[in-house]
Amino acid sequence: MKQDSWLFLAVFAVWAALAIVYATVPMFAMPGYAVVWGWGALVFLGLALAVHRAAKRKAGDTQSMSRGDADVVG
Amino acid sequence: MSRNTLVEGLAALGPAERRLLKSAFGAALAALALGVLWGAATALARAGFLDLGPLAGYRALTGHAVSIFFYWLYFAQAGLLLALAAAYGAPGRGVAWRPLAWAGVSLMTAGFAANLYAVTSGMPLLYDAPPELAGAPSAEAAAFYAGYLLLAAGLFCVAAAGVATALRPLAAGAEWPVVSFACCAWAGLLMVSAIAAAYAFLPAALWALGLGALPADHATRWHILFHNMHYLPLMATVLLWYALVEAMTGVKSIFGARFSKIVFALYLVFVPPTSLYHMFLEPDLAQSVRVLGSLLSLFISVPTVMVFLVIVSSLEVHARSAGARGLFGWIRMLPWANPAMSAIGFAVLNLALGGALSFVLIQEKLASLLSDTFFVPGYFHFLTVGTVTLTFLAALVYALPPLTGCALWRPGVLRGLPHLATAGLALFGTAGVAAGYLGVPRRVLDVAYDGAAPAAWPILMGIVGIGGLLMSAAILAYALALAANLLPGAARLRVALPEVQWGGPVAAAARAWTGPLAVLVLVGITVGFTMLAFELMRALPLAASGAIGH
Repeated sequence: MKQDSWLFLAVFAVWAALAIVYATVPMFAMPGYAVVWGWGALVFLGLALAVHRAAKRKAGDTQSMSRGDADVVG
Repeated sequence: MSRNTLVEGLAALGPAERRLLKSAFGAALAALALGVLWGAATALARAGFLDLGPLAGYRALTGHAVSIFFYWLYFAQAGLLLALAAAYGAPGRGVAWRPLAWAGVSLMTAGFAANLYAVTSGMPLLYDAPPELAGAPSAEAAAFYAGYLLLAAGLFCVAAAGVATALRPLAAGAEWPVVSFACCAWAGLLMVSAIAAAYAFLPAALWALGLGALPADHATRWHILFHNMHYLPLMATVLLWYALVEAMTGVKSIFGARFSKIVFALYLVFVPPTSLYHMFLEPDLAQSVRVLGSLLSLFISVPTVMVFLVIVSSLEVHARSAGARGLFGWIRMLPWANPAMSAIGFAVLNLALGGALSFVLIQEKLASLLSDTFFVPGYFHFLTVGTVTLTFLAALVYALPPLTGCALWRPGVLRGLPHLATAGLALFGTAGVAAGYLGVPRRVLDVAYDGAAPAAWPILMGIVGIGGLLMSAAILAYALALAANLLPGAARLRVALPEVQWGGPVAAAARAWTGPLAVLVLVGITVGFTMLAFELMRALPLAASGAIGH
């Protein structure tokens, strides 16, 4: 599950880097692209966090279930 | 996951989800039918078979492009995203954030109505809608831009509901399916495209309402949106191939879920770096950026080719384990009597042709010569109609019967329609690309120029008209046949579609050669088209410069 959120983080990194390049490197100087890739980077960062949170919630649920099972067995 | 996760998942959805999905698919098919009728009229006018006059002709062209490129493709994507996310997620729980999804579909419908009003009553603005064409602010121009903004807002809402739905299996502790992961990635790109659409059309909308200045950089803003709109339908297409192949054959990727997820994520990685070629016609673009853009554009098809390799290699290995013999014997064993298989088969063929031709257009030296010629509609119909539309129709073949509980209308006829559509497309595309190479302008309805045009131009445009008519007839028939499934009187008895069952373990000695071989052929075709383009361009006594791209 970790890999799923890392993949979205990689996408965020590429989009954010491109946004910075388009906004700051004079040779490119395309502020419009910088705006859209920048917002896109935020969207994929949000997705990475949402995936991480969902996977973490699952891990937490599994742990508490295991503890519950142990109590019953004990 | 069972073999028929898609069909069983959709059949398990509750009445509220079914109404939502049927509304999105109904709107998609209505947009497709309307857009095809306008397209047929445009093709006949371009061929000189129908005299529409300039105003009606450009209205038909604008209506065709807006209905198909924006509303058919995005209503279909909205419905298919929610359908896949729900079917592979937790079908018993339906679509997450359903009121938001309904709001999204409603906003998209309002956008379609606003665009239709503007197309039929105002100055036709074509699909990229440069404000200069409107001349002055007006209610019709404002309605046109407002339509696109409503579409963008609706897509964002649907995509958010899609993400929430796709995340459900992950939160429930199950293994996150590849299709759910890919839905999440697809929804992310839909959200970004909605933001890009707002960025492109909000200044023009404010101008049309008299609340802002004429946006000077509309073309650049459009190119950013347009680049996303190249990728989105293709990403949806290959994801649908992935899901439909599993539904029709039981075959999953032999490379494993992790590799498939990486390939789908690559789509998102490659979107921004490959966008520079849209700027090739900007006169003040630095030469070094042009060279970099040409190099980066070569990567544009990498994710699509990788998904193709995953699917074809997995199919071939499983088919060989099921007894296929010879280099191409496994292809004959595919369930071609299934209308979805037939549509996908032709979609692959058309993607190869359209993809190879697209590489001609995105080269810096050729872009300025070809971007304003009929080469552009000639090649992109291989992608929009031949690839994406056929794939979306194939997906509806699988999605609609479980949702409606009704039988598919004459699967045997539907199986034949992709043949007719591709035959029409072959005429349209071949004549259109040749016309483009010979300089036929792209957005001029009457290319006769009072008899002063080269003799080949009217002949080629006549072939374009005939091909367009055949293609339109096939797609319209397909759309109406699927729409019949949504009507209350449709037959209730469901008929199983022909499928094969290759989902078992594979033989260790099974090898897959067809995928890599097909990629080699594709590279050869691309080189061939490019060499032909350079030779033809060298033979023409002209030079070109420009300020707007395609």
